[in-house]
Formats: sequence, structure tokens, C-alpha cells
Amino acid sequence: MAGIPGLGQLAPAPSVTDTQTVVLLPYWEWRFEVATEQDSVTVRLVKGTAERDGTELAKKPYKFERTKSRIYTLEGCTLDITGHCKSYVAKYPRPEDSPLNVHINLHWGLDEMRKEARDRGRGAQGPRVLICGPSNTGKTSLVRTLTGLATRMGHEPRRQASQQYGGSSAEQSSGWQPIVVNLGPREGLLSLPGTLSAAVYGAMMDVEEPAGGFGITSAPTSGPSPVPVKTPIVYYYGREKVEEDPAHWKDLTGKLASSVRAKIKEDETVRTSGVLIDAPAVEFAQGGLELLVHAVNEFAVNLVLVVGSDRMYEELEQRLAGVYTSVGEPIECVNVEKSDGVAEVVDSFTRHNREAAIKEYFFGDSKRTLSPSLQVISFDDVAIFKAPDESEAYEGQPALEPAEISAGMSSWTLTIMDASVNDPPETIRQAPVVGFIAVAEVDEDRRRLKILSPVTGRMDNKPMVWGRWPEPYINLLG
Amino acid sequence: MADDAAEVADDYRQALEDLSVNSRIEIATLTNIARENANHGLAIAEVLQNHIKKVPPPKTLPALYVLDSVVKNVPTPYSLYFGPKLYSIFMNAYTKVDKDTRRKMDEMLRTWKEPVPGSISTKPVFPPEVVRPIEHALIAARNVAFVANHNSFQGQQQLLRGARPPARETPTPPTGRSAPHAGLAQGQRPSLGQASQMPPQSMAQQPYPMRPHNDPNMQQQQQQQQQQQHRPTPQPAPAQMSMPHYPQHQPQPGLGSEAGYGPPPQGISIERLKDDIQQLIVAERTEFARNPLDASRQTRLKALLDLQAIIQRQDMPQDQLMLIKARVAELAVNNLRAAAPADPLTQHHQPPHLPPQQYYPPVGGVVATPTPPQVAALARPPSVTPGAGGGGLSLSALLGQKAAQAQKGSLAALLAAKQSATPPALGGFAPPPATSTPPQAYQANFPPAAVPLPAAVRSPSLPQGPPFGQPPAVQPSPVLATDAIKQEAKPNTVALLAMLRQKGLLKTDAAAKPKKQAYHSQRFSQASLKQHRPHLTPLFYDDLGAPCTQCGRRFRPDAAGRRQKTAHMDWHFRVHQRLADSEKRGLYRSYYVDEMDWIQTPLTGDADYAHATAATTTAAAHEDQADAGGSGGGGQKQGGRKQLQQLQYLAVPDDGDSAEAACPICQERFEMKWLDEAQEWVWMDAVRLGGRVFHASCHREVAGEGPGVEGVLGKRKAEDDFQSVRKVAMGGY
Repeated sequence: MAGIPGLGQLAPAPSVTDTQTVVLLPYWEWRFEVATEQDSVTVRLVKGTAERDGTELAKKPYKFERTKSRIYTLEGCTLDITGHCKSYVAKYPRPEDSPLNVHINLHWGLDEMRKEARDRGRGAQGPRVLICGPSNTGKTSLVRTLTGLATRMGHEPRRQASQQYGGSSAEQSSGWQPIVVNLGPREGLLSLPGTLSAAVYGAMMDVEEPAGGFGITSAPTSGPSPVPVKTPIVYYYGREKVEEDPAHWKDLTGKLASSVRAKIKEDETVRTSGVLIDAPAVEFAQGGLELLVHAVNEFAVNLVLVVGSDRMYEELEQRLAGVYTSVGEPIECVNVEKSDGVAEVVDSFTRHNREAAIKEYFFGDSKRTLSPSLQVISFDDVAIFKAPDESEAYEGQPALEPAEISAGMSSWTLTIMDASVNDPPETIRQAPVVGFIAVAEVDEDRRRLKILSPVTGRMDNKPMVWGRWPEPYINLLG
Repeated sequence: MADDAAEVADDYRQALEDLSVNSRIEIATLTNIARENANHGLAIAEVLQNHIKKVPPPKTLPALYVLDSVVKNVPTPYSLYFGPKLYSIFMNAYTKVDKDTRRKMDEMLRTWKEPVPGSISTKPVFPPEVVRPIEHALIAARNVAFVANHNSFQGQQQLLRGARPPARETPTPPTGRSAPHAGLAQGQRPSLGQASQMPPQSMAQQPYPMRPHNDPNMQQQQQQQQQQQHRPTPQPAPAQMSMPHYPQHQPQPGLGSEAGYGPPPQGISIERLKDDIQQLIVAERTEFARNPLDASRQTRLKALLDLQAIIQRQDMPQDQLMLIKARVAELAVNNLRAAAPADPLTQHHQPPHLPPQQYYPPVGGVVATPTPPQVAALARPPSVTPGAGGGGLSLSALLGQKAAQAQKGSLAALLAAKQSATPPALGGFAPPPATSTPPQAYQANFPPAAVPLPAAVRSPSLPQGPPFGQPPAVQPSPVLATDAIKQEAKPNTVALLAMLRQKGLLKTDAAAKPKKQAYHSQRFSQASLKQHRPHLTPLFYDDLGAPCTQCGRRFRPDAAGRRQKTAHMDWHFRVHQRLADSEKRGLYRSYYVDEMDWIQTPLTGDADYAHATAATTTAAAHEDQADAGGSGGGGQKQGGRKQLQQLQYLAVPDDGDSAEAACPICQERFEMKWLDEAQEWVWMDAVRLGGRVFHASCHREVAGEGPGVEGVLGKRKAEDDFQSVRKVAMGGY
């Protein structure tokens, strides 16, 4: 019985209430779901080694809330688990049977490519990897795992990078520092949903965070962080699906790619570490393949991992056969099987996570409370733009038009763009994001706007954009 | 009617797409559907063929089993439909699957040469005419593996002779009724082959290996079902054969390894062959007319015309004719289909003796520091391929090569590459030298005769072969090999071969579609990804040193690692301290940095307090030094003084009272200003000392640079300096 892969799925254990001990053999996984708000589970590694998505657990308690994830082990481990959650142990008769084995091997392949780039020197780039596939196939989890594993590798910088910064970085950067790029607006990377972003990952990731180091919890705050801070560059898309405004998505992907290129040029460790791109789940019927190909071109991707879709693999392979990157490398497509443990993520769960992310952006989480500032400003002191309605589309329409401030705007989050109010609409629309504010109240009579801003002080002359997604759910102050 | 067919085909395609494992029940169902819709057989055959062509490697085998089952159980009309296309179906599938699947395909191919088990018919599943070209191509491909490295004909001969006996001595296929057959298929791996073959009954009747954990009872039941399905239908001779029957239906013990090379069945119709060629020419002409500027078509057309002329003039041996015919038919089927051959450059053929590379301590990977044998291996196998194939099979090999190349790159080279897929991967993620399994596994793919080859591969005397797809460097070998194996080949045939080559049949095919090759490296081959590499696991753990108890990050046990760890622990300590501090003060989410900042700020690891500007980073580094070194007030004082000079702003305090504060020295209010660099509101020229905020310039004036500063404010003051620095810096994030 125990030897059959995935057997545990058939009968998820009932909620765990008291402390229980879970013993995992190598390449087994403990998969858990803490779905409800009230529940939490505390995991403590007692013996052996264990990881969550590439980041090793220390022998201390970790508390998980509204998280669906896995703890796996490569060497075997014992876990003490306290709390309420749905969980089961995925057992595999041999390590080869575990989907994890493929992920680990992918890592070693990438590691090899990075070493090649490092040894070749002279601006050689590490692998640029696009991870794509349908939704609910574990793409992001794979990206996270590959990121976590990469940052851990004990690699010696070939030259001491960035001496001008006091030499501290060469001293401290012991692992690879890949750039992680998120092109899927449904979940933000170190940002809110509706955005595309990128960040260099070179240090320990937050194991306890629901998104395992990719979520808003890890976005920078004014204070110290128990987990090394990751700084993203963010662009605002403002819709849920890439197919809804493919032109805009392509523009932003291009902008993000050019930021990433500049970063790669600047920093040797980052350059040799390469780029890991989390692609959105595209729909074939709506030209999704071309969107992926666009991303491949923009980021000069030389390795495409297709997770959980033979069809997408075949089509992409066909499409990219004989295509070369800007530096003349062939583009390889690899078919990666979907892990049998990918949690079925229901809409309510993702919606809840989105809401939690917005709340957390302003107020922090249970471990770290943030104090946003409540400000009252006049309609005349803000410049809010929105994309024109598709229904009224006409030739030569500007990309953005001034939005009419009305009660309908309350509870929405607006995005502050790093541009000037007087910039052309297209520039504003494609500018990097400075931050977000939430509209608490609109007083149309007195023409006043009550807003929640993360930072004290005003954003003079910075335009804001009112997107179409995610829709507001509750008044953050209510 | 037509709609019916389309509907049936569509349903069948959907059913096929659902088939992903070797489920006997599903295959039996699919067979039954095919039987019931035999009137739409052509459509179904088409669907199945396309499915096999398109399906990803892991699902190929079940699909082939469906074909196998359909043909064995409903020979009429399906064997007719599949016969002409069998070569392309089989070879196409063969090139894309892994070697385990290939072994199963070899077994399946073998059963096709025999009558349907349990049937009263004595006819083989597929006529030898159909099966033999496949066998030849496979043999040719395999021969390459060991012939490739001998550039003298003598060597080839010896090798061929030496290599074949093991094939003959292979354990008898356990069908219980036939002697060993030709085909190195089962001969390649005597021991493995035996182990993997099925018990006679199930081999003969159920070529669908069950998944490991199936109930034996169920298996029996299914066997019975399956048996019932085998209707002893007499098989009419497939249509595409021009003669009424075959001389030998029963596989004969004596046939042995000669089956592949032996006299062909009599009666190949030369007229028919001419017809076929004529048709090809017509098709080619049409194409040519459509694209008059396409030089490759022109040359191909010319070559075909030449071939036609030769065949019409010459009286060729039957077997040669037959082989030509097979290839012509093949060409006709696949004439214009673009395929995706593997990139020849990626086919690292690695000699078995290559010492496993150790991966750690850091060395370059396979490509980073290629060892000489690998370089040799990379260049050679493709170059010798055509000659080698010719050595084994003469005309068929040449044409076979051509067809193979035209469709999917050199099968031979591909085979060689695929079989060696595992070892190069091991070179990459190599086990410690103590493990000797990889070379063994590798050798298992080749007969013993192949073992000495690596030396030849490395031999510098080997001429550098022309690139893949070029005319073979070794011209005479096909002739001689043909001589040795069979009756004399006529000089004209040789001339034909040479001419075909020179006319550019090979070249044009290879050159016509160089763009559609999908790139695949060994590193990410499915076999490599599936392999378990336990020896690498310590690289994640023990080899990185002991973990930090707070966060699990590991540090090497060497001096640098210890230093890092000390700094890291200090960092943890500071963060804890400051966390408590900052909670009181009130935290907020920072704005994101602007693009330039993002690009230019290097990742500072644990130093989250470092600011983008060089000034603060320097300050942070100083702080680091001071803290890590545990030095006394002197060091801190120095650090503090530097900060005083470099940082002359302070974030506006959040609390209202101090926001109204004025400098105690000059009594002027601080001026509030938005600082882009810090992304927050600051007081410029401000510094917080001992709980009070001064204008930095005022304070410097009053306190001067003298030793008094420390004396007055003491160590406590210096610490507060850092606090302020941190706060400013943190604002940036």
C-alpha cells in the first residue's frame, strides 16, 4: 500500500488537531492545506532535513496560515505538526517516481548552465528560463523551488562583483542570484495582483509566508525584516487575464524585460545566475501561444519548461524550433510533468488571497503590523487616470484618460506611477509602479477624497491609475 | 457517409487522446471500435497514424499497441491501410521514444513477422516486404554505433562479422514456435533482453505489458477476453503486394540472422516500381512547377529522373529492386512532410570509457570544459554514418539514410545519441568515481564487439568527416559491403548510388529544412530528468556546512564561511533588536524603488538596511565591520563620523510633537522636503543625536571634530547615530 505513489490523495487525513509526528523518507512530501482564516498549523523539523519549495527549514517552529503547500525532504526527516489543517503524506516507492526528482534535476541542469556562463565570463549569461503551462499545474511552485535551490548553492564569485560598494556583496553573496520575473497578473510577485514584476532573489526566502517568499509579505517595509528583503520592479497591468489586453501586456513585458536586461548588464552575479520567468496561464484559443513567444523573445529565453500540458509543449516546441535567441543560442523546450500533488486552488481561495494581499500591503500581517496613513485630499490635488472603455473605443484613442472621480471609486486600490502628471498617457501607463493607495471614501459634495496611503506624506505630481482588476472587496477601513 | 466517417474518426481520435497508459482494456476497446467501424477503416487508420505521429513520447507506446492490436485482430482491412505507411509510422515513433520503449517496439516488430497468434492463417501480420525495410533501417542504425569508428573497410567487415554472431545467439524469442530471428533487436542486449521478455503466452498474445501493480486475476480475465477477440480470420494478401503469395510464411529456424540479408521473395514487380517512381516524378514535377525557383526540388527531380532511367535500362537484382521499391514507397508517403529532426550538434555521442566527471568541487560541466574524447565524439558519428550504413546494407542503407534524413535526421546518429543519453547526463551530474554503474548501463546497449571502439573514436587519424547530411566520406564501402554480404552488385548500381548522392538527394533534403529542427540537449532529456542522482544531494546540505539555527541558511566551515556566519548572526541579532524598536515607532510599507535604483543596487544579502546610495552602503559596511568585529567605541566613532559627513538628512519623525521640532542650537524649524533617493519626507541637514535632532551643520560647528564629541555624548551617542542611519536607510525600502 505504502508504495503506491499518490495513494495518500485518495483519503486525505481528517483535520489534525493535536501534535502529531510525521516521518518522511527521502523524496516524500507532506502536503498540507490551511484554507480557512482561523486555522493555522505549526511545523517543526525534528530530525533530518526538510524544505519548502527549495528553501531549507531550520529546526524551529514555522507557522502557516492560509497556505497550500508542501514540505519535502531529500534526505528523510521527522516533522512535528501542531494545529488544524488538511494534510497527507505523498509517498513514492523510489525517488525516481517523485515529481520532485525532475525538479531537482532541472536545478542541476540550470546550475551547470550557470557555471558555464560564469566560467565563460565576458558577459556570458546564465539560463533564461520560461516556466509555462495551464493554471493549477504548479508553475509558481516550480519557479519558487528552482529559485530557492539556486540561492543556496555555494558558489564563489569569479570576480568580486561590485567592488565600489564596499566589497560587501562579494562577501555576502554565496549563492546564485537569479532574477525572478512574474508575468502573470493573477498573483503579484512582491506586489499586488494585477501587476507584473521582477526581483533579484539571492537570499533566504520567507518560508512561513503563504506565497513562500513571493508574496506581498516579503515586499519592503520601512523596518527591518527577519528575512532578507527583496526589492521588486513593478509594472501595472490592471486586469486579471493577459488575453484581456494583450497589447498592453506585451508592452509591459517589454518594459520589464528591458529593466531586467539593464540589471543583467549591471551585475555579474545576476547575469550568470540567469532569469526565471513565471508565465501566465494563457489560453490557446485567444492567441496565447503568441504571447508566450513574445515573452520568450523579450527575455531572450533559451529554455522553456512546459508544465503539465503535452499539447502546449508540442506547439511551443514546433513554434520555437529553429528560432535562436539574440545571442544565437537555440531555444530548448522541455516537457515537465505536472506534480500529482498540485493543490486544487478554488476561486474563493485565490480571491481570499488577493484580498488578504491588499490588506497586508497596507496593514502588514500578524507578525508585523504596519501603520498606513489616512489622508484627506481634494479632488483637485490628485490626477487619476483610467484606461478608456473598450465599448467606446475609437481610432487614435489615448491610452489613458482622466478618470471621473465618483463614489464608484471607493474601496478601489489605485496605483501610483513613477511618472509626471504631465507625461503623455502612454508613458504614464507604462511607468514603473511606486506604490498603491486605497480609496476609503469619496465625498462628491465637498470634492474630497479620503485615501489610505502606505507612507506618510503626499505624492505630489505623481499620476495614479485606476485599473479594472482586482475589484474591491471591502472597505479597508470598514 | 463522408460525414459518418469524419464523425467516427473524430470520436476515435478523442478516444486515442485519452489513452496514456498500457491499459489492455482500453486497447481492446479501441480495437473493437476499429472492428465495428471497419467500413470507415481508412479514416480510422488515418487518425491512428496521425495520433502516433503527434503523440508525445510517453504515450507513443500505447498508441502503437493499439495499431498492433487492430492489425492483429482486424487484419482486413487494417493491415492494408497501415502496410504502406508502416515504415514511416514505426520509424517516426522509434526516433522519439526512449530506449525502453524501443525495446518494446523491437519485440512488437518481431511479432509482426509471424502469423497472428492463435489464428489459423499462416500469413505474417505484416508481409516481410513491409517489415523488412524497418528491420534494415534499425540494423543500419545500430551498426553505425560500432562500425562508425572504423574507417577501414576491413575493420568494418570484421566488426560486422564479429557483431552478428551474438545476435544469432540471442535467447530464442519466447514465442515457443519460432527460432531466433534476424535483427539485432533482441541481440543487442542478451541479458537484458531475456529479462525483459514476457512469458511465451503473453508475449505471443498480449504484447501489452501491464503496469506493475495489477491484480493477476484481472490479468487472466483480460487474457481470456483478449483471446476471444482473436478471430482466426484468414488474411488475404495485402493489396500493395504485387505477387500472390510469399514463399515463406512460417518463420524458419534456418532463416536466422540471414533474414535481413537473405534472398528476397521472388517476384518484385519492376513494372510496379517504375510506376511508383513515375508517380513520384509527376508529383515532384507538380511541386517544381509551383516553385520553379526551388533549387532543391530541381535537383531532387533530376535525381529521380536519373533513377528512373537507370532502372529502365538495367537489370537489377531482385533484392536491390525491392529495397529501392520500399524506399520509393516510403518517399512517396513522406515526400513533402516536414519533420523536426534533432540537431546533429547536440547529439553527444559519448564513449563508454569516459571517466565520470566529478561535479564538485566546482568544475566546468560537459560543455564548459569539454574533454578531448567528447570533442571527437561530437564530430564523428554523424560523419561516418552514411558509410557505415552502406557497409551493412548497400542500397537500402543509402536510400534508407536518405529517407531517414529527409524525415527525421539520421536515425542512426539519433539512435547512437539516444542510447548514450544517459552517460552524458551522468557526465554532467556525475556520480563519484566509485560508482561504476553508468558505464555498464551504457555498454549494455551494445554488443561486446563495440567495446573497443572508444579508442577508435578518439583516434586522431580519423579524418574529420563532413557535416551531417553530406555525402559520405567513405565512398567505396557500400560496394564492398554489398559484395561481402550478398551477390555482386553491379557497377551501375554503385554508380547510381554515387550519382544519387552527388545529385544532391542527400544534401538537398538535409539543407531544405534546417530550420525546423527542435533543439534538445542531453542535459534536459527526459531520461536525464528522470534519473535519480543521490550523490548530488549532499551539495544542498552537508557540503554547504552547518545551518544557521535561526533561518536554516548554511555556512561553510572554512574561514570565509565562519566570517560570514558571524556577520549573519549579528545581522539576526540586530534585526531582532530593531524589530522591537521599530514596532514601537510604527512601520509602514515602503514605496518601490525607481527603475534606476533597482537596476543599480546590488543585492546585499542580509544587509537589508543598506541603502541604494553608495553613502549608506558604505555606512552599512562600516556598521557591519563595527558590529562584526566587536570593536570598541573607537571604531564606532570613526564610522559615526563618516556618516555625519555623508548623511545629512533624516526622515521626518512620524509623531506629531517632534515633527514641529526645531534645532536646539539655532532654534530654527527643520525644513521638510521630499527626497527622491530616500523615497520619503526628510529633514535635510538634520541629524539625531542623543534623542534630539540637530542641524548637522550646527552640530558640527558646535561640537567640532575634536575629541569632545565622544567625551560628551559617549558610546550611547554613537549607537544612536547608527539608529538614525538605519532609519534613513530603511526608508529607501
